[in-house]
Amino acid sequence: MRYGGTAMAISPKGLTYQGVPVWRHARVIQWAAQIVSGVLVVALVVWFFANIVNAVQERNIPHGFGFLAKEYQTPIGEHFIPYESDDTFLYALGVAASNTVIVAVAGVVLATILGIFIGIARLSSNWLVSRLALVYIEFFRNVPLLVQLLFWFFIVLTLPVEQEAYSVPGYLYVSNSGISVIMLAPTGLLSSSLWCAMVALAVIVGIFVNKALSRREAETGKASYPLILGWASAIAIIAVSWGVIAAVVGDAPLAISQPEPQGRFMRIAGGFTVRAGLLVLLLGLVIYTAAFIAEIVRAGIQAVSRGQIEAARALGLSTAETLRSVTFPQALRVIIPPLISQFLNLTKNSSLGGAVAYSDLTSVALTMTQTAPAVSIFILIMAAYLAMSLAWSLIGNLYNRHVDFRGA
Amino acid sequence: MVAGTPQPPASLPPPRTEVGALGWAKHNLFSSQFNSALTVVFGIAIAAALWFGLKWVLVDANWTVIVRLGGRFIIGQYNTEAACAGQNCFWRPQASLLLIAALMGMAWGVVGAGVMRQIALVIGVGAAAFALLPYSMDTMGMDVRLLLAANLPALALGWALGRYTPLGTVRNIPILGVVIFLLTLVLLRGVPGVSLLQGVPGVSLLQPVRVIYWGGLMLNLILAVGGIAVSLPIGIALALGRRSSLPVVKTVCVVFIEVFRGVPLITLLFMSQTLVPLAFPEDFPQNSLFRAGVVITLFSAAYMAENIRGGLQALHPGQVEAARALGLAGWQTTMFIELPQAIRNVIPAIVGQFIGLFKDTSLVYIIGMLDIVEIGRAFILGNVEYRASARELFVFVAVVFWIFTYSMSYVSGRIEEHMGVGRR
Repeated sequence: MRYGGTAMAISPKGLTYQGVPVWRHARVIQWAAQIVSGVLVVALVVWFFANIVNAVQERNIPHGFGFLAKEYQTPIGEHFIPYESDDTFLYALGVAASNTVIVAVAGVVLATILGIFIGIARLSSNWLVSRLALVYIEFFRNVPLLVQLLFWFFIVLTLPVEQEAYSVPGYLYVSNSGISVIMLAPTGLLSSSLWCAMVALAVIVGIFVNKALSRREAETGKASYPLILGWASAIAIIAVSWGVIAAVVGDAPLAISQPEPQGRFMRIAGGFTVRAGLLVLLLGLVIYTAAFIAEIVRAGIQAVSRGQIEAARALGLSTAETLRSVTFPQALRVIIPPLISQFLNLTKNSSLGGAVAYSDLTSVALTMTQTAPAVSIFILIMAAYLAMSLAWSLIGNLYNRHVDFRGA
Repeated sequence: MVAGTPQPPASLPPPRTEVGALGWAKHNLFSSQFNSALTVVFGIAIAAALWFGLKWVLVDANWTVIVRLGGRFIIGQYNTEAACAGQNCFWRPQASLLLIAALMGMAWGVVGAGVMRQIALVIGVGAAAFALLPYSMDTMGMDVRLLLAANLPALALGWALGRYTPLGTVRNIPILGVVIFLLTLVLLRGVPGVSLLQGVPGVSLLQPVRVIYWGGLMLNLILAVGGIAVSLPIGIALALGRRSSLPVVKTVCVVFIEVFRGVPLITLLFMSQTLVPLAFPEDFPQNSLFRAGVVITLFSAAYMAENIRGGLQALHPGQVEAARALGLAGWQTTMFIELPQAIRNVIPAIVGQFIGLFKDTSLVYIIGMLDIVEIGRAFILGNVEYRASARELFVFVAVVFWIFTYSMSYVSGRIEEHMGVGRR
């Protein structure tokens, strides 16, 4: 568009800009719209804020963030980092946030695994398997998570108490306070951390050996066994370091820890224990989210063009190989963005933990509102959830860039 | 046919293992060794699950908890003495249901046979069927039953109005829908001062009922219907705002969408009860149900905006260019070219969001409202003798939700079919 005339003028037609009456000039209208909407939004925010400040002062409502440095003085049901009742509000919020992060990460891993299996089952050529997957998806996706959580919660409540747990003595205990299983537990801080470092090193060496031998095989055509030798080198490092650490430090890095009833109250101690709250929350979140992930996986696999699969089969790849090396890598591009938004949903849905007696961020915050200003606490935890959402988006974007078309 | 041409020999029938039930089983259940093994393993597992499941449902389960709660599932504490002192207000939700049945009948009469008829019949016949529940199973009085049965005549009346009167036009249905929704709210909330029996204290026809007594499925449905109706236009506006070239508008929309999508709904609901009352002047009329509805709607609108933005982005740019070349103005292009196509392309996502919104209405427990889930939980926690019936209770509630959500996705499937999505 070309506008004639001077920038701003008063002509017989009235006020003009670049020769066009101002009320018909696109740029003027746009600017006016922006200014009006901007002023409206700012005015609304200011009005709300003024009302809030006014109400807080008039009704003497507690406010501010000074409470964060005070002692919380309330126990937290379940925590994975050390916590005492005389710790501060801020630290207690951190403990609660760690609980949410733990359930979110564990839930995401388990839900992804289950969802991929069900998504593939949905596409199975076996009618029975594909119908079963369909029923799973249509049922669990369509029932509110809260109802599912409460269902599992009351099921676990009807289990026997800890002292009368269903058990395989020494190996497995199932009771209404959780599940304990036998596991390998670290013995001492020094030996365990040393060995963990060696395991990390072994993984790096294993991958390096595998890559180097693969390259050699590709370049020279000589059989170099990259997979076998890669694993062998990693396992050798792990085994040798175990022996050396056991001999030098004095105790093996890991030892078998058996769950056993102990003490006057015969409570189960030792082994790997998942307490009831975490168990129920994980169960509900994983089953619910897996139904959504299965649909995403199905859609992603179906988006891969048929010719790709036919070509792979023509090259002599087996069904499993086709799925792993041809279909899945291509499907990932379609799968990743919605998958990340499911991870985000799972993290947010973990805020229902309070309904099943798990001390997640929201349930701890709700308890805190009895002794501290509710609005301040909720502003903090909403910021925490926003940060977690951003973290998932960031991970998703990085991974998306990684699997995106390259050099095409 | 030319004489002398040799007739091809009559072809043999296909082998018996390739057609019929046997052929179907061979191709779909036993096509390979692996598939055969899967079929056997899962077949046994399904048979066992069905056996134990049916045995539990028919024999072991104790369904008395459902009977005990009965109407509480549907209307919560609405007809209790505390909610509606001096009289029984059960008829008000039922009158709303009659209005809805009539509206559905009218929509059926206007649109004709098809998915609308199915919806109308399910609502009308379903409601009337409750009137036939055996007396031993429920304590409903004759008045309740008669009002339930009246849904069928209401449906018929609506159908006749839609079919044979000038009232029945496609344009009138949504308008009437809004009117009836608002009428339902007024009917349930009540109007102070409307009294039939002048001089009798405490008795009025539409005695006000505080929203904290609204409950059960009625509460879930009110929040869901209101939320669905309002979140779609707001979502569209946000999506357009996010794509706008005006930086101020765009920033406001992006911040709104990302904040509402980034935090859990229950924290927003909690804030709606603590912060929002402070944000308005003290004499500003508001109640907890309204605030909860607004929060659920805005939360859903943020997701809706992203779905619609997806649809807009998937639109071929040629559509807009062609529209502009034909001389359509910017807003005309958006209203008549971009939006209809964008929305049609993301119907599954939009309906998925509607279903999500309906499921999310169960979260109002956080602000102390007794929806269908919470009323069950409160009952179980308050009556120790029913503690063991929690399983039955939540299975029942899950099935109720499932019926609604699955119907929604079924209807969406039919609409998509009707609009020919993915068939061009």
